[in-house]
Amino acid sequence: MSRPIADRAGPTDPATAWRLPPRWVLLVAVLLIACAEVGGASMARFKVELTRWARSVALDRPAVHGLVGVRDVDERILDEMLVKFDAGLRLFHMHAEGMGLVILATTTVAATLVRAAGARRALILLLTAGGAGYPLGYLVWSWLIPYHGIERGKAIAEWLVWIPFGGAAIAALWGLAIVVAARVAGR
Amino acid sequence: MTRPPLVVVLVAVLVLALGETGGAVMSRLRPQIERYAAARVAANPRAHGLAGSAEYDDEVRDRAVYAVEAGLSFFHTHGEGMGLVLFFAATLVASVVPGRRARGGLYALLTAGALFPLGYAVYAGAVLELGREAGIALAERWVLTALGSAAILGLAGLAVAIATARDRA
Repeated sequence: MSRPIADRAGPTDPATAWRLPPRWVLLVAVLLIACAEVGGASMARFKVELTRWARSVALDRPAVHGLVGVRDVDERILDEMLVKFDAGLRLFHMHAEGMGLVILATTTVAATLVRAAGARRALILLLTAGGAGYPLGYLVWSWLIPYHGIERGKAIAEWLVWIPFGGAAIAALWGLAIVVAARVAGR
Repeated sequence: MTRPPLVVVLVAVLVLALGETGGAVMSRLRPQIERYAAARVAANPRAHGLAGSAEYDDEVRDRAVYAVEAGLSFFHTHGEGMGLVLFFAATLVASVVPGRRARGGLYALLTAGALFPLGYAVYAGAVLELGREAGIALAERWVLTALGSAAILGLAGLAVAIATARDRA
């Protein structure tokens, strides 16, 4: 087995070393990535079952989806609904993988470079909650589509998850950028 | 692990923030973006080769609007990805690459490479102003190829540095 590469600056140089974020943050990020992986695998493994479930829920709610009882028309509507249902699951898979890594990277920057303890805690909380919550919105949207339709499902997911959690993550990222820019400027 | 210079960290965070914000803007303002893009195509009839035939012009406009949306979508996804690539790759450079000059060169290449997603913003804008083919060609030739090559060279240099790094005693 090969030996590890030596860290150029030495293992304990505090002036130039990254500081890890709190353990709960690491746990959330790793769990989010794991959920994304499981989500992607489940989508592939249970595609038929998921499609059958979404279709049967939609068929129980013809008024929600505008089903008229004419096979040609209804099949087209159901196909579009299933495409969006599948897209929601795929977007959850992709965003959860990405945001897990974004949480790891940005909270590490915050833990290392934000000097004020209160600001550091607030940024880490917003980056973690926003980053982990946002991808779940795609899962919520997918689940809502058969019950409430594509557009209404999207509106609910938007106000319930995407805007609050996505907004938190974006605000925290710009806050972090301002802090790092101030450090670059020497303040 | 060793932290890279603050400027490199700042670029990584900015690229991530721009990528996230771009995705949110695209999602919330899709109809407005489509309307704006269609208006710009109509305002540049020669660049887009509009012929005055409604059917043909509609097809040209739809293709141009689709290209603009694709550019913005790639800006979002590549912004998220390249911000992370810069963060993790620059951390590896700071940790394992000996020699100030070699590290500086790799930081410069990786940081330029992280700006690659901006090429897709140029792509979207250039399609509207110069026409679909000319806009894509301009973004590819002058921005995407240059910045993408910098990223590839930086990563290749880092791979060489890791392969030749000395083991811990």
